[in-house]
Amino acid sequence: MFAMAWDNLKKRRLRTSLTTLGVVIGITTIIGLASLGDGLRSAVNRNFQQGFELDNLIVIPGSFAAGLRGAGFNPSDVASIKTVGNVTLVTPMITLPTAQVNETVNHEKLGAFTVGAINFTEMQEMLPQRFRLQPGGHFPNSIESHAMILGYQAARLNSTVIASVGDNVTLQMLVGTSSSAYLYNETYTITGVLAEGGTSGLTDFDYWAFIHLETAEDISGIGGAYQIILVKVDDSKNAANVANAIQSKFPPYSITVFVPSSLVNQVNNVLNLITIFLLSVASISLIVAGVGIMNIMTVSVMERTREIGIMKAIGARSRTVLSMFLTETVLIGAIGGLIGILMGYGLSYALAFGLSGVVQSSQQSGLQTPGSQKLSITPVFSPEWTVIAVVFSIGVCLVFGMYPARKAAKLDPVQALRYE
Amino acid sequence: MTCIVEARDVKKSYRLGNISVPALRGVSFDVEEGEFLTIFGPSGSGKSTLLHLIGGLDRPDGGEISVDGSKLLQLGDDELARLRLTKIGFVFQFFNLLPRITALANVELPLAIANLPEKESMERAKETLRLMGLETRMNHRPFELSGGEQQRVAIARALINNPKMVLADEPTGNLDTKIGGEIVQLMRRLNKEAGQTFVIITHDATVAENADRTIYLKDGLIEGAKEGTGMVKS
Repeated sequence: MFAMAWDNLKKRRLRTSLTTLGVVIGITTIIGLASLGDGLRSAVNRNFQQGFELDNLIVIPGSFAAGLRGAGFNPSDVASIKTVGNVTLVTPMITLPTAQVNETVNHEKLGAFTVGAINFTEMQEMLPQRFRLQPGGHFPNSIESHAMILGYQAARLNSTVIASVGDNVTLQMLVGTSSSAYLYNETYTITGVLAEGGTSGLTDFDYWAFIHLETAEDISGIGGAYQIILVKVDDSKNAANVANAIQSKFPPYSITVFVPSSLVNQVNNVLNLITIFLLSVASISLIVAGVGIMNIMTVSVMERTREIGIMKAIGARSRTVLSMFLTETVLIGAIGGLIGILMGYGLSYALAFGLSGVVQSSQQSGLQTPGSQKLSITPVFSPEWTVIAVVFSIGVCLVFGMYPARKAAKLDPVQALRYE
Repeated sequence: MTCIVEARDVKKSYRLGNISVPALRGVSFDVEEGEFLTIFGPSGSGKSTLLHLIGGLDRPDGGEISVDGSKLLQLGDDELARLRLTKIGFVFQFFNLLPRITALANVELPLAIANLPEKESMERAKETLRLMGLETRMNHRPFELSGGEQQRVAIARALINNPKMVLADEPTGNLDTKIGGEIVQLMRRLNKEAGQTFVIITHDATVAENADRTIYLKDGLIEGAKEGTGMVKS
């Protein structure tokens, strides 16, 4: 049966190849767009993961609804967040206002935009991937109260390193309210420089300097008001629930909880919608191919009417004739599907190559923190899509081949034999 | 002698638009096993219709036909196909070989439909073609063969399943007298050697002269019959 169908297709080579071409185009588009979509999604996810730890939450005072004005957190807020289920770590951070770090030789200002006061041990646990030192430095221990860690760019001026491990720097800032303000000015020793963090995520520490949390808390006028609380959950799947639980511990609109994983989910949802849209457009081309198959097979049945009559006269059952024609269409679907899958992945690589170029050149001209990484898309080979494509193409061929095949099977043998 | 075909009061008419045209108006006859029978008559006499009915390709409007003990009216389409596959071989005026495949593949076709293994069916097809004297023409396609050769391929195809009965519709109608005569002699020989029943429709008197018995058909009715070989009135 299989060999017979193959023979029949081979004998009408041009017609078979044109019919198959329809299926090839349909499947090529579907596989090409699907694997490109998957590639885009994973590129975006990778980009997000460089900017955020997906199992982390960032809690800040105030909310957009309340005009982003809010008082800082106090230690009891930290304790209350710790009681929320699925939370594994909570660490507060003080951001020092109007702080400036200068090197002590030429009194040049370092590239540190922000000075944060943190618990170094907890921070390493919170951001194990990104809170890492370059070789030669160490995180300050508890007795090194005036030790400082610099971000990668904070140690540089116009990309030249001007502060290294062991150097002294001065930390200057205006502390207190306007009536009781004074200039804080003390010398710190650099014990380490962070490795380059890259990306433009919510927490880009390249331009930060860090000191001990306890040291900052002891500075009069700073006190125990935390501007940021970082929260780690046991699994990024629980992040949204934990965020809600934290919200409910505070008065409405008094805090904001950033959930990086839900941001990623939203982006993924949008990408999914786009992919589905593109795939439905691509599916239409496969349906057009199906109509082409129906057309060709109907003509083929008419041409082979006499042949069908002969087959029936020598004892072929209707079912045999039916499956003979269906085997032919299924073969077209299978061959077209396989070629289409290969060409589809080829297409997606070509598109990805072109797209990556466009994205990179637009990134370079756009607003961008230095050192952030380029978005490069690598198409994803997915076994699922491959199976779906084969099933879909064979399915379409079966559905559209059914009508001509039934027509052939139902032919009256006597009339078919008379057909000229 | 047992009868392989029993036809009783068989009627069949065709519709041409709104008019019903009777092709057979009540035909009764028997065919004995091993018989070489011709059904003789002018065109339009209903011969082909009768052959189609005996072969289970078509169903009568009235009457009854039994083939090898099975009442055809009681058989479904699939059972009729099975009957044609196993017990009946067809030979046609225009040979009706599949044009795009070789003589060998044409002869193998009934075995392929019966799902016989490729190797076995190839051996049997070669053997049958050899019997027809076509051993050198096996791998030719129908258009590369002469009319006589094509008809011998068709006979090989009809015989490949070793049927009890061969039904031939004007087997010499498209051949010249000499080749037609050879085909008839070939069928006669097969009938004598293997004991297969042959029912041959013809309006060629020389074919009927070789038959054991001839039935005359005219306007859908049996007009008479002649026993034994010999001259036939035209």
